[in-house]
Amino acid sequence: MGELEDRRTAVSEARFESLLDTAADGVIVIDETGRMLVFNKICEQLFGYTSQEAIGQNVSLIMPPEFSVSHDRFMHNYHRTGEKRIIGIGREVSGMHRDGTVFPLELSVGEAKTAEGRQYIGVLRDLRSRRAVEQRVSQLQAQVVHMTRLSAMDEMGAAMAHELNQPLTALLLYLQAVARQVRACHADEKPPSDKMLGVLDKAVLEAERASHIVQRMRQMVEKRDPERATIDLREVVNEALDLSEFVAQGATVTIRRVFGMTPIQVDADATQIQQIILNLLRNALEVAKESEERWVKVSIGSDDRSAFVSVTDSGPGFSEDVGKSLFRTFSTTKKSGMGLGLAISRAIAQNHGGDLMADPGGNGQGATFTLMLPMHHSDEAEEDTWG
Amino acid sequence: MYIIVEDDPSVADALESLLSGAGLPVRVFASAEELIHSAPPTPEDTMIVDLGLPGMSGGELVRHLEKAGATPRVIAISGKSSRTIARETEGLAAVKILRKPPAADWLEAITA
Ligand SMILES: Nc1ncnc2c1ncn2[C@@H]1O[C@H](COP(=O)(O)OP(=O)(O)OP(=O)(O)O)[C@@H](O)[C@H]1O
Ligand SMILES: [Mg+2]
Repeated sequence: MGELEDRRTAVSEARFESLLDTAADGVIVIDETGRMLVFNKICEQLFGYTSQEAIGQNVSLIMPPEFSVSHDRFMHNYHRTGEKRIIGIGREVSGMHRDGTVFPLELSVGEAKTAEGRQYIGVLRDLRSRRAVEQRVSQLQAQVVHMTRLSAMDEMGAAMAHELNQPLTALLLYLQAVARQVRACHADEKPPSDKMLGVLDKAVLEAERASHIVQRMRQMVEKRDPERATIDLREVVNEALDLSEFVAQGATVTIRRVFGMTPIQVDADATQIQQIILNLLRNALEVAKESEERWVKVSIGSDDRSAFVSVTDSGPGFSEDVGKSLFRTFSTTKKSGMGLGLAISRAIAQNHGGDLMADPGGNGQGATFTLMLPMHHSDEAEEDTWG
Repeated sequence: MYIIVEDDPSVADALESLLSGAGLPVRVFASAEELIHSAPPTPEDTMIVDLGLPGMSGGELVRHLEKAGATPRVIAISGKSSRTIARETEGLAAVKILRKPPAADWLEAITA
């Protein structure tokens, strides 16, 4: 019976070892004194020792000296108090290759109570490769962003053609109409009429409509470097609201401002921030106009890290469906909308290290759009003046 | 009578200026539905219709009029690609197509 037992252990040990050698992670087993009992293939690669060389030695062999001291203390401490510092938790540690190279490792430790006393199983993952992977991923991400930008440009070409078509058509027809009338006047030797001037004025308006579309498109493609300054968000937002109230003279929607007394300082490009506010406001006014209560509320607040500007309206909010594509370029539910406002606004916010978030509202609640920007930190500013 | 069915107010107004400036009688409708609910056109009329109308499309309007037997002369205007235009006018009796934005004098094209 004892013999059978031995054979079984031998078989399972062999299986265990081959398993260990196929493992993608380094595996080390040590006993209570820190002596290595198992040192798998990956560990051989990681640390440059063969398993024969490593087994039987203290695990400090593969640690940088400053670690090996504290490791002994940790183990000692754990045996005395049972206080777990790493077991079952896992953490980032440093390993040392035979050639002295120190590198980052993720270490998870498990404990096993065996007939020969306590043993510890360490699973080691080389973080250098993960770092490389992370780098690769961020490279790929950049590529994807670039590609989606390109396909957005494709879409943009189509949308641009579509949007520009109407004003250009109207413009050309007005001009054709005037040209004919001028020619007719000439033939009859009569002076041009006021009516023609009226048509020319309309032609100019259409040309402006077309150029406005091009300008908005340009904002989308051009990534001008923001001109950052430390600004009081309340002032900047106030200005934008004044501007839009001026433009919307006689409009029947009330704009409520909920601002605090203290300045809220952020490092931002004031014009770009106003562009966001105007986009949010335009959307809000459009729905508020059709609502019963007809108000838009703009509030500003902050916590220690971020500043917020929220725009809420008395409209109906938006559906889950609309919510899914809200920030996508050219997604719009409006006949005359281009679906650019929110896409541009979010891009600007993120360029500033902030973000733009949307609460759909619904059930009698209007939507709320919140611009978040990192707060200005005064110590950073002092460094700036030196730099 | 020249009948304009176009939902973009500027385009409709510009077309009207062009036609009425030449002394032609014009009526403007912002949608196919609006036209249907008013007096139906006659074969003597020329209807200038935007293919991309919201609601009932330009193509559907022409089909509807063909069925009702009140087919005016039709000039379709569109800013879409030629493939889309071909799809939208499939099965219609001869319609003249004018593409937005205009590349030539539309008054000549319309009155020709
Ligand atoms: N305050 C709001 N309440 C309800 N829906 C909204 C609100 N703001 C935006 N939306 C929805 O989000 C869509 C996208 O908004 P966005 O500002 O990006 O484009 P747009 O307003 O349609 O066009 P543009 O701003 O380019 O003229 C809108 O079409 C609308 O459906
Ligand atoms: Mg908008």
